[in-house]
Amino acid sequence: MIHREMKKGSAELLILALIEHQPRHGYELCKLIESRSKGVLTFHVASLYPLLYRLEKRDLIEGRWVEKAGQRRRRYYRITAEGKQVLSSQRKSWKDFMAAINRVAGVSHA
Amino acid sequence: MPEWTEEIRRRLAPLNLDPARESEIVEELSQHLDDRYEELRRKGMAEGAARDGALGELQEDAVLEHELRPVTHRMSPSIALGGTGGRRPWESLWHDVRFALRSFRTHPAFASVAVLTFGLGIGACTLIFSAVRGVIQRPLPFPEPGQLISFWGSAPEKGLPEVNSPTGLFVVYRDKTRLLSKVAAFSSDGATLTGAGLGDPERIVGATVSVEFFGVFGVTPQLGRTFVAGEEVRNGAPTFVVMSHSLWLRKFGGDSTMVGRAIAMNGQPVTVVGIMPAGFDYPNQAEYWVPEYMDANNFNCWCYQLVGRARPGITAADVSREMANITDDFAISRRDIFSEPKRGGSRVIAMPLADRIVGDLRRPLVVLLGAVALVLLIACANIANLVLVRAASRSQEIAVRCCLGAGPRRIAAQLLTESVLLSLAGALAGLILTFWGVHLLQQLPVDRFPRMNEVRVDPVVLAFSAAVAAITGLLCGVAPAIQMSRVDLQHAIKAGARGSKSGSHRRLSDGFVVTQFALSLVLLVGAGLLLRSYRHLSGLDLGYRPENVLVGRISLPFPRYDTSVVVRTFYNSLAERVRAIPGVSDVGIASRVPLTRGNPQNNVVAEGRESRPGEPVLVANVRIVSPEYFRAIGTPLLEGRVFEATDDERSLRVAVVDEALAKHFWPNESAIGKRVRYGNSDTSSGRWLTVVGVVRNVKHNSLDEQTDLQLYESFGRQATWSNYLVVRSTSSPELLATSIRAEIKALDSALPLYDVHTMQNAVRGSLAIRRLVNVLLGSFALAALLLAAIGIYGVISLSVSGRVREFGIRMALGAQTGDVRGLVLRHGVLLAAAGVAIGIASAAYLTRYLQRLLFGVAPVDWATFGVVALVLTATALLASYLPARRATRADPVLALRSE
Repeated sequence: MIHREMKKGSAELLILALIEHQPRHGYELCKLIESRSKGVLTFHVASLYPLLYRLEKRDLIEGRWVEKAGQRRRRYYRITAEGKQVLSSQRKSWKDFMAAINRVAGVSHA
Repeated sequence: MPEWTEEIRRRLAPLNLDPARESEIVEELSQHLDDRYEELRRKGMAEGAARDGALGELQEDAVLEHELRPVTHRMSPSIALGGTGGRRPWESLWHDVRFALRSFRTHPAFASVAVLTFGLGIGACTLIFSAVRGVIQRPLPFPEPGQLISFWGSAPEKGLPEVNSPTGLFVVYRDKTRLLSKVAAFSSDGATLTGAGLGDPERIVGATVSVEFFGVFGVTPQLGRTFVAGEEVRNGAPTFVVMSHSLWLRKFGGDSTMVGRAIAMNGQPVTVVGIMPAGFDYPNQAEYWVPEYMDANNFNCWCYQLVGRARPGITAADVSREMANITDDFAISRRDIFSEPKRGGSRVIAMPLADRIVGDLRRPLVVLLGAVALVLLIACANIANLVLVRAASRSQEIAVRCCLGAGPRRIAAQLLTESVLLSLAGALAGLILTFWGVHLLQQLPVDRFPRMNEVRVDPVVLAFSAAVAAITGLLCGVAPAIQMSRVDLQHAIKAGARGSKSGSHRRLSDGFVVTQFALSLVLLVGAGLLLRSYRHLSGLDLGYRPENVLVGRISLPFPRYDTSVVVRTFYNSLAERVRAIPGVSDVGIASRVPLTRGNPQNNVVAEGRESRPGEPVLVANVRIVSPEYFRAIGTPLLEGRVFEATDDERSLRVAVVDEALAKHFWPNESAIGKRVRYGNSDTSSGRWLTVVGVVRNVKHNSLDEQTDLQLYESFGRQATWSNYLVVRSTSSPELLATSIRAEIKALDSALPLYDVHTMQNAVRGSLAIRRLVNVLLGSFALAALLLAAIGIYGVISLSVSGRVREFGIRMALGAQTGDVRGLVLRHGVLLAAAGVAIGIASAAYLTRYLQRLLFGVAPVDWATFGVVALVLTATALLASYLPARRATRADPVLALRSE
């Protein structure tokens, strides 16, 4: 349960972070999250795309169809200026949050 | 490659998407499933298994629809939980408002308690403000009202705090003043109005005025003109009159041809020269004005009040100095009138007319405004605590918002929006209280509560209410907002769901409770002191028995009743007739009765006790009374005798004095047989009055005045034209008025009986302002006590529920219920004690402002302070006892498991 809640809370952060420096398409995002988290975090179509559309609607990311020679066209997402702001503020909050969790955990185990 | 389109479309179908959008989504998701399928195939999976694996990404049918619905349909941005998202300020304000309203709907109990508390606090505050504004602040209805100055002489060393002026002195002031552009003299007057079609003869109240009178006020008549020089009365009946708007409407139906016509006043024709505009009724709701000649050589009747218009920039203090100097100069030049005049010997008090009119009402109103502000502060502390408690139970929600990027300012703004919305709703509810209260205030008698009829709920009052609401809303919200916007994530995650409070929350709540107790103590002490004053006053020996006494005044018109014999005959036969009315036990006649307007006084000198030069001459109230008067009013005889029928013009001139006068002149011996006389200079033997009796002291103007000295003369010898009939009955006296009027009519059908009232009502009326203040201040103090009790109950309850685990452990380790209960009670009592201590210090300082309203009790009356402190501590104990009992019911096992 906690796992799922945490994933939900952190999903936006993860996506924004992954497209911070280069545009990526949905499948790529899925794979990256799975591999970088060593399989702890996984996203399915049913949860990933609604999240992407939500972020797009909030102008935090921007999706664009890109056609490459010999391939079907794909939709790539890149971060907007606003998205970058939110990303940095969320990074900071999470950092504080994690530090807090650590401190709490430390205290309660001592 | 399998075909995914069908599967995806089936799942999207319930969303009814726009076709273009749907096909985009289908294309993007198909691409994803293709990639997944290929990946699984590369890993060596069979076609069927790879297809199923890819489709698994879509999960159960409903998941995709559920996740997409908020995005594709009216998606609600997650602003409520996160940052501003680049919204404009008003957008986030609107959002905060909607969010607040939603949260009130889900917590109706919290919202209604807060709105009710705000409503009572702000409503009461607005009510008192509207009274202050109507009575004190709103300018008088004259041009440049601030320039109107009222002034009078003062000789407190002679027991004369206020001395009016004779016409001779007025003329001096009028001619010499440089600081007043105009100055006028006036004196209250009364007349009997008769005439065809006017109904029964009616006594109307008016004023005799110098011709400058209307010019001073700068008010022009609605019809006709005011007086011109030469129209003044010189000895005799007036011939010209100016009528008030209300008399014109009431008696003459607003007839526009009244100007130039004659009306009958006191049986004499008087020509109406003008009608004043509505609202002009100075002095004392006057209904007519007649011009009086200001004789420069008359210094007999010190009975004229003075009012002037100051030149721009001149203050009351300037006028006071100028008039004192003019009086000194004049007194030194007229040693025949002024005894022992010297430079700096005169004292003249001047004050703005508005202050003079409002008089005794100003201080009580200011005190009440202060009191009601304290109640509002206490209410604020309660609501702030409520908001804090609620915010604390939302700390997890707030922590999550912080994590998602909401800045402290957003969180604070949200909390402030909530409390301001509550206070505005409270102000609206409070207006009901205000309107109702203003309606009641307007009903108060204007002669006791000057200008109270002018109290209104006007735009300024409404603006005040809105401003108070905004300020209190911010005040209540700011502390919780600061607290919560600094939300401690660690604490929130650890304890948020339990809704317990952090140390700083608890300190803040405790602080609120201490403040509440301190403020409540101040209010309760104030109310207590006033209540004790009131009890002292109402328990006072009046010197007469007001029960079952009806008084009424009859004035005989002068040439028709031309000699004192005629006057005495009339009153004596009237008294005879009234005595025969069933239920009447005694009937007396007196020139003045206690607690009525006007107080004839004179200097009194005792034989062999003449004051030495420089010593103040004694001033006594002089009353002309019939033999039966003392029995009728109920003033007991202490020594000697009262008047007898034989004390007339042919016999020895005798006097009855009160015990204060007797004690003053003859402290260690009997006053009977001693002689007194009036004035300072005339010593001819015929002027001596021989004291034949001593009666109890009587207070004339008010119950809280210094005891006056009284000297009574026999009506059989000194008849006056205007007298009160004093009727004591065996039962309720109100019903007698009709029978008395019938007896008067039988003697003279043109004479009205006026100023009719029971003495009991007069006594009650003289305490009317005090009673109103007591009732209001008492209710404010009770409200404060209740709020403080609720406040401490809430805080202790909350602290108990936050410490359930601790209590569980204590009890598991062997603590007895008494120990735990004591622990909780100690917390409550400590808070109350801190509040009481601070309150006592503040009250000891603040009650000095009550001094002038107190009677027979010191501002720092330790008995009152002590009782109030005890009451508050007991309240705190009681309010903490309930949570304390709950604490001891904690089952250790359950308490520990709840963690």
